[in-house]
Amino acid sequence: MTELMHRSEVAVSVELQTPDMTLNIGPQHPSTHGVLRLVAKVDGEKITEVEPVIGYMHRGYEKLAEVRTYAQMTALVNRIDWVSGFASEVPFIVAVERLTGIEAPERAQWIRLILTELFRISSHLVFMSSYPLELGATTPLMWALRERERVLDLIESVTGGRFHPNFNRVGGVKPAAGGGSQTKKVSQDLPAGFFDQTRAAMDKVLHVCDELDELVTGNELIKARTVGVGIIPADKAIEFGLSGPNLRASGVDFDLRKVEPILPYDQVDFDVVTAQGGDCYDRYVCRLEEIREAARIVLQAIDKIPAGPLQAKVPRILKVPEGQVYVRHENPKGEFGYYIVSEGSRMPYRLKIRSTSFSNLSILPWLLEGQLLPDLVAIMGSLDFVLGDVDR
Amino acid sequence: MTDPLEEYTSSMAERLGALRWVAEFGTARIYVERDAWVETLRRARDEEGLPFFSWLSGIDWAKDAAVGDGVADPDALTERFEVICRLSSVVSGDAMHFLAEVPKHDPVIDSIVPVFAGAAWHERECHEMFGIDFRGHPYLAKLYLPDGFEGHPLRKSYPLLSREVKPWPGTVDVEDKPSLENPEAGAPR
Repeated sequence: MTELMHRSEVAVSVELQTPDMTLNIGPQHPSTHGVLRLVAKVDGEKITEVEPVIGYMHRGYEKLAEVRTYAQMTALVNRIDWVSGFASEVPFIVAVERLTGIEAPERAQWIRLILTELFRISSHLVFMSSYPLELGATTPLMWALRERERVLDLIESVTGGRFHPNFNRVGGVKPAAGGGSQTKKVSQDLPAGFFDQTRAAMDKVLHVCDELDELVTGNELIKARTVGVGIIPADKAIEFGLSGPNLRASGVDFDLRKVEPILPYDQVDFDVVTAQGGDCYDRYVCRLEEIREAARIVLQAIDKIPAGPLQAKVPRILKVPEGQVYVRHENPKGEFGYYIVSEGSRMPYRLKIRSTSFSNLSILPWLLEGQLLPDLVAIMGSLDFVLGDVDR
Repeated sequence: MTDPLEEYTSSMAERLGALRWVAEFGTARIYVERDAWVETLRRARDEEGLPFFSWLSGIDWAKDAAVGDGVADPDALTERFEVICRLSSVVSGDAMHFLAEVPKHDPVIDSIVPVFAGAAWHERECHEMFGIDFRGHPYLAKLYLPDGFEGHPLRKSYPLLSREVKPWPGTVDVEDKPSLENPEAGAPR
């Protein structure tokens, strides 16, 4: 009898099994923010083990620093985290200033503060556009990037570059190009109309925050994907060295701008944004609120910025004494620091770069274990890493 | 002793039984015995209020070799390494760098992964860049470098190929390569 049975009559005699399967994600995948490869072992829908494979963008900055003078390094350090280049320049240059005993004039420090916060807004707006996109919402991408363009225009008008400002000098900042007087090609100060343009741009930024609030923050679909997903308890965040919004979303009230300011943050009024849940949604909310706080800081700073020179007197040959120094700063993504070992040469003997995303990403194997595969992109995206910052 | 950082460093060094301490440029560091490495860091976390694992790396003290000068006989270099780990507080700005010396002929130190899980990647990076073995590390594979890569790039004896080919680009129109013998080289004209 070889009659065909109807499908419904076939008795399932074996129990369905879900043996471990290895799933390769990347190295090039839209949700990996660069070239990150994940080798995941999955049991059905459940992730049992993840091994991130990094290093596709390793450029060896720590080695390159040993054959470059301190002044030459500023062109490289802003390429580590290209979404917030200026914020990674500042601690390096402050570290050199601390070694040499040179202090930047007040106005230069305030310009550094304004640009750092503009880059913070820019970096967080990239997150605001990419994260909902990874969860399937395309509109916030357009809205957030539209306002980011305004911020980038401001940055360009001061530094001449949109992503890689290379704007810091030992003892001050570069004289801004093309601004000030119409008759001079190079002015020694911020471009004309910068403050008014900044006020207008901050209005737009605050407005898009409200729009994002309506579109994303209260969105049921976004909440269903993110609330209670990828919870990082505070003690784990501390053990893995997570910093920035990733740490503060877990309820740790720690912000280097308050604790160890290297720029005049003590003269502006702002709040440290924290959340208690430590899940993907809280990390999103923290960043959104930080945009508002950053805009608040910028608006105060352009009122408070004093007049004065942009550059301190620096000797023709920069004498860097022997010694070791570590300077860290609150990058948009967290603690960013440089450990310089100087042997008295004009080049660093050893430069250790404490990049934020490297530590932030290192929690991934622990965090993804036992999670569901559909949550993988939501969890990964919520950590807001940049692969250039991971690979250095 | 009036400087608060010096006071902080010296008192912690005393409590933890450190070999010596240095506080300079707003940065404090203490040197500990290699055998006491894990225990010191554990005590710093539990007793000194420094639970935040910031980073771990190494320093190669082969001072007679400059990168790019080309080392004829790398094995003849008197290299010694230091492993450096930074722990900090999440309440205040308190922080400390811990260093332990690791000789070249026996580049081994205990892994701190059982104390700080976050050190796993940092130790893997230090392992491939300096060739230091971390005893007890659960998975000491290469992190950045491809599997078949030979050598330890951050050692001073490892030549930087681009500097071998062209020791200092831009001598003609930009600046000379500065050195300890010729510190004025490359200063703006």
